Amino acid sequence: MSNPSDHRVDVVSLGNGRYQVTQGETRRIAFAVGGRETWVFLDGRTYLVSDAAEGSKRRSRVDEEAALVAPMPATVLAIHAAQGQRVEQNEVVMVLEAMKMELPIRAPRDGVVKSVSCQVGDLVQPGATLLELEDADAATGSESPG
Amino acid sequence: MSSTPPFDRILIANRGEIAVRVIRACREMGIESVAVYSDADERALHTTLADRAVRIGPPPAAESYLSIDAIVSAARQTGATAVHPGYGFLSENADFAAACEKAGLTFIGPPVAAIEGMGSKIAARQTAVKAGVPVVPGETPADQSDQAVAAAASRVGFPVLLKPSEGGGGIGMKTVHDAAVLEAAIAQARREAMAAFGDGTLYVERLIERPRHVEFQVLADHHGQVVHLFERECSIQRRHQKVIEESPSTAVSRTLRQRMGQAAIAVARAARYRNAGTVEFLLEGSGDSARFYFLEMNTRLQVEHPVTEQVTGVDLVRAQIVVAAGQPLPWRQEDLEQRGHAIEVRVYAEDPARQDLPQAGTLLLYREPSMPGIRIDTGITEGAEVAVHYDPMLAKLIATGETRDAARQRALAALHQYPILGIRTNIPLLIQLLEHPRFVAGDVDTGFLDAEGDIIRSGLPSTPPAEALAIAAVARAEGPALAGIRSTGADASGIDPWSSLRGARV
Repeated sequence: MSNPSDHRVDVVSLGNGRYQVTQGETRRIAFAVGGRETWVFLDGRTYLVSDAAEGSKRRSRVDEEAALVAPMPATVLAIHAAQGQRVEQNEVVMVLEAMKMELPIRAPRDGVVKSVSCQVGDLVQPGATLLELEDADAATGSESPG
Repeated sequence: MSSTPPFDRILIANRGEIAVRVIRACREMGIESVAVYSDADERALHTTLADRAVRIGPPPAAESYLSIDAIVSAARQTGATAVHPGYGFLSENADFAAACEKAGLTFIGPPVAAIEGMGSKIAARQTAVKAGVPVVPGETPADQSDQAVAAAASRVGFPVLLKPSEGGGGIGMKTVHDAAVLEAAIAQARREAMAAFGDGTLYVERLIERPRHVEFQVLADHHGQVVHLFERECSIQRRHQKVIEESPSTAVSRTLRQRMGQAAIAVARAARYRNAGTVEFLLEGSGDSARFYFLEMNTRLQVEHPVTEQVTGVDLVRAQIVVAAGQPLPWRQEDLEQRGHAIEVRVYAEDPARQDLPQAGTLLLYREPSMPGIRIDTGITEGAEVAVHYDPMLAKLIATGETRDAARQRALAALHQYPILGIRTNIPLLIQLLEHPRFVAGDVDTGFLDAEGDIIRSGLPSTPPAEALAIAAVARAEGPALAGIRSTGADASGIDPWSSLRGARV
């Protein structure tokens, strides 16, 4: 059921950017295409369905293992970890600021800081690498629980 | 009200939906409006809607919307005779009100002394106490060292709340449940206070557990009349920022309303208040036996003022302008009544599935629902850029009905027909909140969202349903033909790529 090409969809414009979509039952939807992103509005919910979205999802899975990335455009307010420093899961390693709010960036797991890729005051873009982690055993040789 | 406008030209020292709201009130009253804008807002709705617009600086608020000199000189340059500050930015800045007065401009708000008196938490509490209104235990340590602030927290008793002394709008407020994390919280609260208000002075207050946030709208003219326009309940808050507001409150009985309304008027009189203001209370319990504590007075129009307008039929911005011009309020307390129920939900550019992370990007598609009992106040338009420089609130949707449940159902129906595409919004969260059994029952307190938020968020759909994938596939396959729907002009010019897709097998 996950292959969209299996589905027959009737789409009728209702004007003013809205569409009636019939696929078994009738729904009213809206959507917009921006670059490689496709946004779909369906029953009060917004979905981002696109190659770009799938790509970024894949990328973020990899990132969680090795690097911390900026989730949105933001200013680097503080950096609490230096290269070679051992950090624990959930430890705040960095603080970003956007839209008047502080966003603490936490270590996703125990590890050692491999590199820091930004400076206090930098304006970082979404997806930009902030800091890279490596396993503690890579630095110390001790056994680390996954 | 007379047919001669009270002012010829008003400058609006703000941006976004509130600037648009004030511009529209001006237009209705035959008053010319002057917008101010930063470089980030050159094509924003408020900039283009006003009769005139003046650039006041680069995107950072400190160099534009918080620049007193730039705004006063914009008023002089355009011949404005009055300034409406909106909310946020300079609206509660006594220096700004004083600078306006000095430049011969009427500040559409309270006198400088009232802003100063209520802006200082100590003075505001003393005023409330003098007026016979109860307050929550707390203090601003004279010695602002970390040790002294920590000592004050111990005196007041945990849990404590750390607040910027100069603040408002919940920015920079921190809850601390025990002494172990106090030091870090003090440092963070001070940094945020410094960044938002240019002053790191902290106020330490005892946290009342499971309180409701109930506030009273007041209006005072220059002829000795002070009225209240009933309550708004704003207990649905996230990080101390309001998400849903309503009037009346399910916790306020007729008797309690009378007592709280009189207390609000007493505070306003004691502060020698003029124009529109809001007296905030914490409410412990509900009904006749509930206890209330004066929290603070906001010396400006509130974000959530529309719910009051919807249940009283009063135009608060118009009333502010009339009062600022020295005219008497057009009604007395006994003329005012609360009719029906209104609920406001704030639509934020945030991703509820990712810890409410603020979102930025282009609004590829933005269409407002149009239904009975629905009002939408916004400063955005389709195609606009949502930037990181300012508050993430995109719009306020206000639903009005004969009963609370009618208003709630209307809000839900409207949110289901409110496509905002290109950035993620909190609309899915708002829908879950409005359907939550505790909200439906009116059983809420200011900790509701913190307590229930994770469960509510776990109910948000994470993967798109097959239909969404199918629609996206159509959109991708027909990409070039669909490009037209990205611009607002497409529908108007009659381009309709979809008629050809009817029955298409994809």
